[in-house]
Amino acid sequence: MQDKLQEVVRKLLAEGAVDYFIGYCQSSQPYRAVPCFVSDESEVGKLVWGPLCGQNLSKYVLRANELDGKVGILLKGCDTRAVVELIKQHQIERDKIVAIGVPCQGQVDHRKLGKILGVSLEQVTSVQDVGDEFLVTVGEETKKVRKEEVLLDKCFRCKHPSAFGYDVTLGDVVPFTVDADAGEYAAVEELEALPIEERRAFWRKQFERCIRCNACREACYACYCKECLFERKTPRWLAAPPLLSENEMYHLIRAVHLAGRCVDCGECERVCPMNIPLGSLYRKIQKDVAELFDYEAGMEMDTVPPLVNFELDDQDPFM
Amino acid sequence: MPKTRVGVFVCHCGNNIGGVVRVPDVVEYARTLPNVTYAEDNLYTCSEEGLSSIKDQIAKQGLNRVVVASCTPRTHEPLFKRACEEAGLNKYLFEFVNIREHCSWVHMHDPAMATEKAKELVRMGVAKACHLEPQQEFESDVFPAALVIGGGVAGMSAALGLANQGIQVHLVEKEQELGGLIRGVQTLFPTEQDTDELLRPLAERVKAHAHISVSLGSEVENVSGFIGDFDVSVRADGEVEGLRVGTIIVATGAEELKPVDLYRYGELPNVVTQLEFEEKFKSGGEIPRSVAIINCVGARIPKRTYCGRFCCATAIKNAIWIKERDPQARVYVLHRDVMAYGVEIEEFYRRAMELGVRFLRYDVESPPEVLGEDRAKAVKVQHQLMGKEVILPVDMVVLTTPLVARDDNGKLSKMLKVPLGSDGFFLEAHLKLRPIEFSTDGVYVCGAARYPSNIPESVSQAYAAAAKASIPIREGLVRVEAITAFCDERTCSACGNCVEACPFGAIELQQGRFGRTAHVNTAQCKGCGCCVAACPSGAMQQRGFSDMQVLSMIGALAEEMTGGVG
Amino acid sequence: MVSGSDSPGNGFEPKILVFACNWCSYAGADLAGVSRLQMPPNCRVIRVMCSARVRPEFVITALSKGLDGVLVLGCHPGDCHYSEGNYFTRRRGLLLRKLLEFVGIEPERFQVRWVSASEGAKFAETVEQVTEQIRALGPNRPRSEVLGTEPGDR
Repeated sequence: MQDKLQEVVRKLLAEGAVDYFIGYCQSSQPYRAVPCFVSDESEVGKLVWGPLCGQNLSKYVLRANELDGKVGILLKGCDTRAVVELIKQHQIERDKIVAIGVPCQGQVDHRKLGKILGVSLEQVTSVQDVGDEFLVTVGEETKKVRKEEVLLDKCFRCKHPSAFGYDVTLGDVVPFTVDADAGEYAAVEELEALPIEERRAFWRKQFERCIRCNACREACYACYCKECLFERKTPRWLAAPPLLSENEMYHLIRAVHLAGRCVDCGECERVCPMNIPLGSLYRKIQKDVAELFDYEAGMEMDTVPPLVNFELDDQDPFM
Repeated sequence: MPKTRVGVFVCHCGNNIGGVVRVPDVVEYARTLPNVTYAEDNLYTCSEEGLSSIKDQIAKQGLNRVVVASCTPRTHEPLFKRACEEAGLNKYLFEFVNIREHCSWVHMHDPAMATEKAKELVRMGVAKACHLEPQQEFESDVFPAALVIGGGVAGMSAALGLANQGIQVHLVEKEQELGGLIRGVQTLFPTEQDTDELLRPLAERVKAHAHISVSLGSEVENVSGFIGDFDVSVRADGEVEGLRVGTIIVATGAEELKPVDLYRYGELPNVVTQLEFEEKFKSGGEIPRSVAIINCVGARIPKRTYCGRFCCATAIKNAIWIKERDPQARVYVLHRDVMAYGVEIEEFYRRAMELGVRFLRYDVESPPEVLGEDRAKAVKVQHQLMGKEVILPVDMVVLTTPLVARDDNGKLSKMLKVPLGSDGFFLEAHLKLRPIEFSTDGVYVCGAARYPSNIPESVSQAYAAAAKASIPIREGLVRVEAITAFCDERTCSACGNCVEACPFGAIELQQGRFGRTAHVNTAQCKGCGCCVAACPSGAMQQRGFSDMQVLSMIGALAEEMTGGVG
Repeated sequence: MVSGSDSPGNGFEPKILVFACNWCSYAGADLAGVSRLQMPPNCRVIRVMCSARVRPEFVITALSKGLDGVLVLGCHPGDCHYSEGNYFTRRRGLLLRKLLEFVGIEPERFQVRWVSASEGAKFAETVEQVTEQIRALGPNRPRSEVLGTEPGDR
């Protein structure tokens, strides 16, 4: 698959079909791949594909707006949802992108891997997909790890690709299925089941740890605003110090901004240096948007965002 | 940047505010607020004295923001804004704080808390005022024509009122004839003249008038636009015509309540309403020998608390009518009170008594009972004054019912964006100070559409509505209040939320200096703020209700909630 | 002093922010005043032209800054002066209520109600009810954790 990918990209660059290609390559940390931008055929050999390519590259397509030509990008099924939304939200034209689709059999959550192995991830030298399992090389040893134990949460919910049509596919891009007990919104429901004071205590503890590094915002495809609400001086919505009251506002406001836009890519939680379970917060938003407004972001091309839309018979408990 | 200099004027409103809120304390408090240069109290800030003081202090103190804390902006804001303008201060640098309707009048038993609340509201108002910016109003032409909906007495009088000024009027009437409610009435009180004597000349003048075009059998189907430029679709005979008008008068009248389930109406053939009586008997039927007229049927009861106002006069009129044709007839008027107000109605009432009409008072708790099997034969009633039950043998029972709001008021109210009151009649801008007009500019109401009214009342209101509706047309233009939305194109990311959110289609994504950004068509913007709330970036803002301004109020309110941090 | 103490049932009086739309609910509030309907003094009204102007961020900010409750009042659905505004308010209200509850903020602290221009009594009832509900819940957050600066410092 990796070879096939490199072949396709080499061709795209040679023909001048794209100005550069956005994909994954190996990093100094072998337990995960990182985004990479290849503009010359000589660099194509860097490109990799495998179970360490969990990151959503979609946001990078916006760079194409600065170019006369197009960009190529490797998009997993789940990643296409973000691109669909970027097109709907007028951020990029479809024809600025040459999208390569690739069949994905699940991506590794490096935090879960670290926990399972019980060793420092620095010692992992490779991870290979062998069907139902991953073959993980740690130092000299090779271990078999069952996929369900180390997959990214979103892989359990794979129902992609969306309405997005690829330009090239490296195989059948179909939803990946794995037997899992967890329900669609398990983490959310677990929290919803707690008494309200416990929930408040839980989230206060989480928000207190936030250092307002803004990584979640930077990683999020939907946070493309030229000037973020939180950067404004008039008004200044948040004070700079990462105090609980300010952090709470930050996360709740971002969650509301993502209502109808969150595509469940999981980047926010993945990049958070403080391990705040942002996934639960954003799954909650997705759950409510689905249940209240029958809407899922990134699945269709011509739907109206739910919070600038309405039905005459929307629920109305507000008499 | 000139320093912000806020002047605060706190009103006593006689005793209305001053009797509960300690106004001097509020003034003193205002002086402590940041950027407040000057504060004073007034007995009536809206008086000549108060307004002069505002103007004087603007000059003397070099004020560049004015805050008045008094009643409700919905009445006096234009007055204070004008005062600011006259003193050379842009009128959008004015902020109104409500410490009467929202404070002194509703916390009468807690002067201490009312005073604290007034102080906080002033603090919030001052905070907002500091962030207000001068604005210029957008001017829009007024199309020189008016629409009158309804061709009854009110509608016709309003149409003539406008047309006689040379203004083109479109009169739209649902029925096939002009006249409205009084077409069903044979004679009028207290003159007892034939309705036709009044109606025919009126309708003729309307039909003959060069500036009135009458559409009978027509209904308004859709209204869009705003004052000065309304687009109206009128349906007649299956065809739809488009009209363009500058102002609209609602004169759709009301309906007589049919008292189903009361006094065996609908069950017995000789139990009728006043209008039915007029129709069946006043144009040549056998005059009943003995009639009980029951007043307040379906009025002044828990379900419908209002008084029909002129139905007593109607009852008296018909009682007299019967007696004049048959002095031997027995006529009883069973009432709960006799509402005989207005010119000559009290004399009318006396005349009825002199003619031998018997007025009997009953209690709402013990209403009369209609007796009889297949016809009403008698009425049993607890005679309040006599303190005993009497049985009155009758040939007919006439039920006096109030006017009720028409069923299609709801549809029309939505089309015109004007509210209905709790009884379904059209609700004016202010109970006392702004009758005839609505909060929505350019739409006016007269006649029974707003409340049951008799002919002189309906005609007076019609004249008033015509006068009001002619003003924008005479002035030729309206100024759109500068509370419209605008996009900071430098920071707009063209996500398109605002375009979807705008109920008026006033926003478009356009290529501009800063790339593709949202742009608001100010002429179409109604100033609702839907777009602002939908903008994740904060690039879209509303003049006079910006995020900065609202947040400053929230911050001012929450000021004392802070504790040790920061 | 409005907030007497830090715990419910101890002389605690909540401070509640109310957004009222110019055409319906603000007029309804005025009518309540004209009718002299007495109510508890805990609410502070901010006038907006339409309830749809109320962005969720205002509610979140108000609660984060320590206010004990936020009440958004608008026209009855179908009667919005701007045709559609309150439909957006309704959707935002539904979503925000659930989100706030999810992070542990009691649902009574953020409420949306429809009050028309003729419903002075309903306005008074609503103020009474909501004040009572929030009073029973106690303060939203201890003063010690609310920052003492405001957005856009002068």
